[in-house]
Amino acid sequence: MNRFTVVFLKEFIDNARDKRTLFSSFSVAILGPVFFVGIMVFVLDRALGESDEPVTFAVVGATYAPELMSYLRQQNTEISEVDAEEPRDLVTSGEHKLVLVINPDYAERYTRGNVNTLMLIHDSSEISSTRRNLGQLRGLIGQYGRTIGTLRLWLRGLDPSISNPITTQELDVASPAARALTILASLPYFLVLAIFMGGFYLAIDTTAGEREHGSLEPLLTQPVERAELVLGKIAATSVFGTLSLLVFLISLYFAVPFVPFEKIGMALEIGLTQILSILVISIPLIFFAAALLTVVASFAKSYKEAQTYLTIVVLVPTLPLILAQLLNIENSLTVMLVPSLSQAILMADLIKGEPVAFASALTSMTTTAVAAILLSWVAIHLYKRERILG
Amino acid sequence: MIQIDNLEKSYGKVHAVRGVSFTAQDSRITALLGPNGAGKSTTLRILSTVAEPDVGKALVAGLDVTTHPMEVRRQLGVLPHNSGLYARLTGIENIRYFGRLQNLSKQELEPRIEALVEQLDMKDFCARRTAGFSQGQKIKVALARALIHDPQHVVLDEPTNGLDVMATRALRSIIRRLKEAGKCVLFSSHIMQEVDALCDDVIVIAHGQVKFDGTISQLRAHAGTEDLEEAFVQLADLREEREG
Repeated sequence: MNRFTVVFLKEFIDNARDKRTLFSSFSVAILGPVFFVGIMVFVLDRALGESDEPVTFAVVGATYAPELMSYLRQQNTEISEVDAEEPRDLVTSGEHKLVLVINPDYAERYTRGNVNTLMLIHDSSEISSTRRNLGQLRGLIGQYGRTIGTLRLWLRGLDPSISNPITTQELDVASPAARALTILASLPYFLVLAIFMGGFYLAIDTTAGEREHGSLEPLLTQPVERAELVLGKIAATSVFGTLSLLVFLISLYFAVPFVPFEKIGMALEIGLTQILSILVISIPLIFFAAALLTVVASFAKSYKEAQTYLTIVVLVPTLPLILAQLLNIENSLTVMLVPSLSQAILMADLIKGEPVAFASALTSMTTTAVAAILLSWVAIHLYKRERILG
Repeated sequence: MIQIDNLEKSYGKVHAVRGVSFTAQDSRITALLGPNGAGKSTTLRILSTVAEPDVGKALVAGLDVTTHPMEVRRQLGVLPHNSGLYARLTGIENIRYFGRLQNLSKQELEPRIEALVEQLDMKDFCARRTAGFSQGQKIKVALARALIHDPQHVVLDEPTNGLDVMATRALRSIIRRLKEAGKCVLFSSHIMQEVDALCDDVIVIAHGQVKFDGTISQLRAHAGTEDLEEAFVQLADLREEREG
């Protein structure tokens, strides 16, 4: 057995025995998919439910305007007729979310052709479906009013369009599928995070932890090349990163069927081909992450100090992903030069089932691998300095 | 044989070692005696190839530690200041890890581990994880780890720190056996009685310099007193330091 393997096996077994390391390494991998699928199901349920839900409200004085009421009942509504001295209280008490008040002189004003004002009582500080109900009810009443106005103009022999010089039409393209895609776009972020979190505690334990426990000095007195030592440690960290990503993908594989994609006419399948492809394009990033975490943790004198540094490090590679989403960066060869960002974009394409260009994948993998090698070289160099003992 | 020749080492403004020279012979136990901060640990760190001297040389079996660190590491067994064991590995696993790093084959390693477990009387606890070990048990495992490749030179940094009487006695007899086997044993201490009970040669080191180099009886004669502690205090200029 060569010394690289000896160091690797020791670090792997040593850390696999630590419950804290295991929990933290796989927390993102296990909770990520659950969280993701939960949000997805929730959002889709809402999006699907809203469109055919009836407009719900209460009416005070329904008897004063029978024609208006019959019009409203013909629409997709759910109306409860109530009596109240002070209609306001119906809303403040929380008994009703939305109340329409019709005055007793409605019929009289209607016949005389006067303006009738209907009051809509609601509480705008409440986050609920009231806002949607209010908007739709307002629309219905406006529509009813315009119909009456049009009829009156006709009766007087006028063209109704003179009172409506401008009209608007709305088209909301935010279909449930579009909402689902937005959430789906955040999935690569979690995958990259899983890779980094997988190696997080190993990177600390094998460097700053070893120094703090006083085992680094005897280790350095062994006839082992520093390169063998450091690469063995980085390899163990990489394996944990790989396992974390793998656990994430496998749980995703089993969790995705629970999302009702078919209801919105979408087909999302995380198949074995995709899992394998994501793994392959992630390999250089896994090494990159392990080497980066190892280099930074090597500067720390204690476990706690290393934890602080690495928390920042884990945020840094995920920043490009957030930026990319905000700036809507598309797949291009230049973007493929950036570690973590390139993988995230490739992962997004793979998840959506879009073809990935060979040149893109190759550029991403090569540049990230080169960066990983450079970082490993830095790590080896750090262990050649006697200052590593602190 | 370990030869230290005019060693100097500074950490920033601290001149830790200022021209230390001495020799530790095979089949002898040599003590590096000095108060805290005298430069003992720095000297041992240079010797064990984890620090480089600014000036001077350190030779182990004639090999320069700065130019031939890998060969020196094979010749040297080091017991560090604190045992530095891996808490989640068992005693045996700790020893085996270093045996493998020393490139011992399985056929060499396993009988060697068995022999050390026997010699150091570790049967009762060596299969457990070291997390709950007593100080004495930890030192035994760390010593077995240092001796796994049967090195000709053994360097022990304050090995009896934190040991009770029985554990100290056991350790002494182990060190004596190493001497009988022809090893070159160098150990640092700041405890006079320790040195008196065990060592053949003494090097008194203080303020980064060698104050005395000779046998125990020469040390008594040199200081003109039977009281070794008194001799040590005189040689190390401790009094002066306290008064100044």
